[in-house]
Amino acid sequence: MWALMGGSATHLAGRWARMKSMDPRDIHAAQPRAVPGQQRDLDLDRLLALVARGDEAAFEAVYNQLASAAYGLIRKMLRDPAQSEEVTQEVLLEVWRTAPRFDPAKGSAATWVMTIAHRRAIDRIRSVTATTARDYRAAEPLLASDEVAEAVEASIDRERVRHCLDGLTQLQRESITLAYYGGYSYPQVAALLGATLSSIKTRIRDGLIRMRDCLGVSG
Amino acid sequence: MKLRRHDLHLLSGVYVLDALDSEVERDRFERHLARCLTCSGEVRGLREVTTRLALAAALQPPATMHRRVLASVRRTRQLPPTTDVQPRPGRWRKRSGWLPRLAITAAAVGVAAAAALGIILSGTQHRLNAAQLENRAIARVLAAPDTRVLRRPTSAGGTATVIVSPSERELIVTTAGLRPLPTSKVYEAWLINPRHIRAAGLLPAPHSGRTQPLLATGLSPGDELGLTVEPAGGTTRPTTTPILVIPLPV
Repeated sequence: MWALMGGSATHLAGRWARMKSMDPRDIHAAQPRAVPGQQRDLDLDRLLALVARGDEAAFEAVYNQLASAAYGLIRKMLRDPAQSEEVTQEVLLEVWRTAPRFDPAKGSAATWVMTIAHRRAIDRIRSVTATTARDYRAAEPLLASDEVAEAVEASIDRERVRHCLDGLTQLQRESITLAYYGGYSYPQVAALLGATLSSIKTRIRDGLIRMRDCLGVSG
Repeated sequence: MKLRRHDLHLLSGVYVLDALDSEVERDRFERHLARCLTCSGEVRGLREVTTRLALAAALQPPATMHRRVLASVRRTRQLPPTTDVQPRPGRWRKRSGWLPRLAITAAAVGVAAAAALGIILSGTQHRLNAAQLENRAIARVLAAPDTRVLRRPTSAGGTATVIVSPSERELIVTTAGLRPLPTSKVYEAWLINPRHIRAAGLLPAPHSGRTQPLLATGLSPGDELGLTVEPAGGTTRPTTTPILVIPLPV
């Protein structure tokens, strides 16, 4: 497994450095439109059932609720605005195309859309880093403890997420944000944090469980 | 690296962050997930946490994107509801009357079909029950007087077994030993002839290397069955070179 990491430390560090140097405008320009919560999810589930029957107006309503979340996540992961826009459009079109196959028994509509968005962004990161790794400078793989602050902004819900992230140990928090927002695989996270695989695996799970309880998310 | 079951369970967090190291690892975890009710419950809850992390990063996209996305939606056909049958947690242990009935049917259609059934039936109870929804249609294909069994290797390894009834214009396809795919990809079946290409459904995720039977209906004369690797959710046209093409005796 470690062999897979060979030679990639430089681009890992480079990508990590880019993540750290986020444009502060990313945070302040964010819209508080995406409000998590059971009520909204129920509405989304219903909207998606309409989308599944080809209802374009319902799709527009889904767009209005989730496009900023999809774009924000992808932009945070990819950094490049043009690529982020392209991937977000792919994701939203995939939501339209595959809505007839959405199964509410497996999770909420918002989670379904965000899972598509996250996986598409990771696919892009992994295909891009293979070709452009050499462009990155070896950067300091130091971890800013205020990474969390970049992840969240001032709306109540963001505050909630931030509050719950703050409740984690530093290793839990850093593992989760590197993997989720950075798109790193867990062996890469382990390498960046100088921890063992099994410790990262456990920290991520423990941290997410603590987040789940803190956010009051039901499965 | 061989992981013990306990270790597999601990990967739930890494899995919901899409941070598993390889397709092999992801495939192995998903197979475990399909069998482990506690794990699937945990994964559902932890996934909701990642959704909150996503929402916390929300950022208004460029205004032009709205128009562009809606325009492409108007030009894009939706996929039909999935034709494969996914195992549902909670139903696996419920016994069905399917096996005896199918066994009788199989006895009636002879050695070849029974051999193919061996593939369908081998394995655990939950796969049988998962296939229950399609069992009537499958039994119809198996019981047809003209049923033929075709088995071919694929270029992605393993074999595909096709049980086809020209009179019913239906076929069943199962596979064994195909290369495992990441969750972002899926094997999609096609019915292809010079006049049209029709999506025939997505192969369900394999269990122990084998896929549950997929039923395709409405065969036309001259149809060939093709299998390609496509993005998860499938596509309306094949986008990759088929790993298998079988002319059908229709």
